[in-house]
Amino acid sequence: MNLAVILVIAAVLALGIILSLAVTRSLQARGSANLAATIRPIDVEAFRNLINPAEDDYLRRRLPPAQFRLVRRARLRAMAAYVQVAGRNATVLARVGESALASGDPRVAEAAQQLVNHALLLRRNSTVALARIYIALAYPNSGFAALRVVDRYEQLSSSAMLLGRLQNPAAAVRLFRS
Amino acid sequence: MFQPHSVLWHYLWVAPCVLLAVLALLMWKRGLHKEFPAFFCYAIFEAVGGGTLYAIDLSPSVFSDKVYWWSYLFFLLLEALIKFIVIGEVFTHLLRRYPPLGRFAKVLISGVGIVLVLTATVIAAYANPTPFWLISATRILSRSVSVVQCGLILFLFVFAAHFHLTWGRSVFGVTLGFAVLASVYLGHWALLASWLLGQKTYILDFVIMATYHVCVLIWFYYLLVPQRNAATSAVPLPEHNLELWNRELERLLQQ
Repeated sequence: MNLAVILVIAAVLALGIILSLAVTRSLQARGSANLAATIRPIDVEAFRNLINPAEDDYLRRRLPPAQFRLVRRARLRAMAAYVQVAGRNATVLARVGESALASGDPRVAEAAQQLVNHALLLRRNSTVALARIYIALAYPNSGFAALRVVDRYEQLSSSAMLLGRLQNPAAAVRLFRS
Repeated sequence: MFQPHSVLWHYLWVAPCVLLAVLALLMWKRGLHKEFPAFFCYAIFEAVGGGTLYAIDLSPSVFSDKVYWWSYLFFLLLEALIKFIVIGEVFTHLLRRYPPLGRFAKVLISGVGIVLVLTATVIAAYANPTPFWLISATRILSRSVSVVQCGLILFLFVFAAHFHLTWGRSVFGVTLGFAVLASVYLGHWALLASWLLGQKTYILDFVIMATYHVCVLIWFYYLLVPQRNAATSAVPLPEHNLELWNRELERLLQQ
């Protein structure tokens, strides 16, 4: 009986999640105007500093273990915040790119496809990086590399820039904070 | 009204079979069978299989109960196989436009699939044995298959939502119908396999038959009603500073 109840609850939850995602999808399809305005610029310099393993090694050598764990956790939380913003920006840019895919200009369409591809790769990497950051939060002494997120972010920026230049030579997206 | 062999019962069994046969015919005429070959086979299979089971059920003098349950078990096995192929087809359609996610998605869905099969096996091991082993086997098998199918479709929706992937209208319709069906089937088979309702299981039959009817209508709508052509214009990109961008990029790349 307990198993049946658990499965019925699971089925209801699954149906609820699926229907809500289906409704969200329709709403998003309608409200896709002014997407690029939702992009939040990122201070890549600060992000690079946060994920630099040499910085962690330095802190590990200089600080007592308990204090190092505190500092490391604070840095990881900051890192997670950056990665989340990068992932959100990637999502927005993927949608911007998709809307530009229908362009009659083959150069714009090609740039849009490139932007979509880079945005999805960044989204994938940010997902994996976030998972690793949360694991590292539990085990702050472990080391890991989030460098691929930065690399992808750079590629994404150049794709967005190219698309922006092709669509409107006088306007484009900013992904980096000055 | 809510009794086996009532008018409503007959309607809910026959109507989806007829509608699916019509859907398969219209898909053939519009060339959609080339785009969705697995779903096309599913529609034909359900129309023919459902009709055959209906005929067996209505002829107790010709076919014994045992024949009905064996036919039903065979039907469920084939149906499960075809449904998995349709889920694969939907997944392929969804990812076709996004090659960078292909490998990652396959690894993820394989992992999810393995976990779901293990879960379904564990759930099957906890089944209540009954003297009617054929009926029990049918229900336990269906419950296990439902767990896997519902989990896979849920994963598909969550994956697409996480990456904000754009569903094609037809692909979305097919998946939505299967999603509703899979989750309601899961609840249905969970209750049936536990023998909680005793002789009143026919009440659940009405729920599942009505849901199935609704899902067939969903497939009709999404596959056959043309999409309204909303004027899609490229999203304008906001103000920027190209020089600053270039400077920042060059500086970062040289590090």
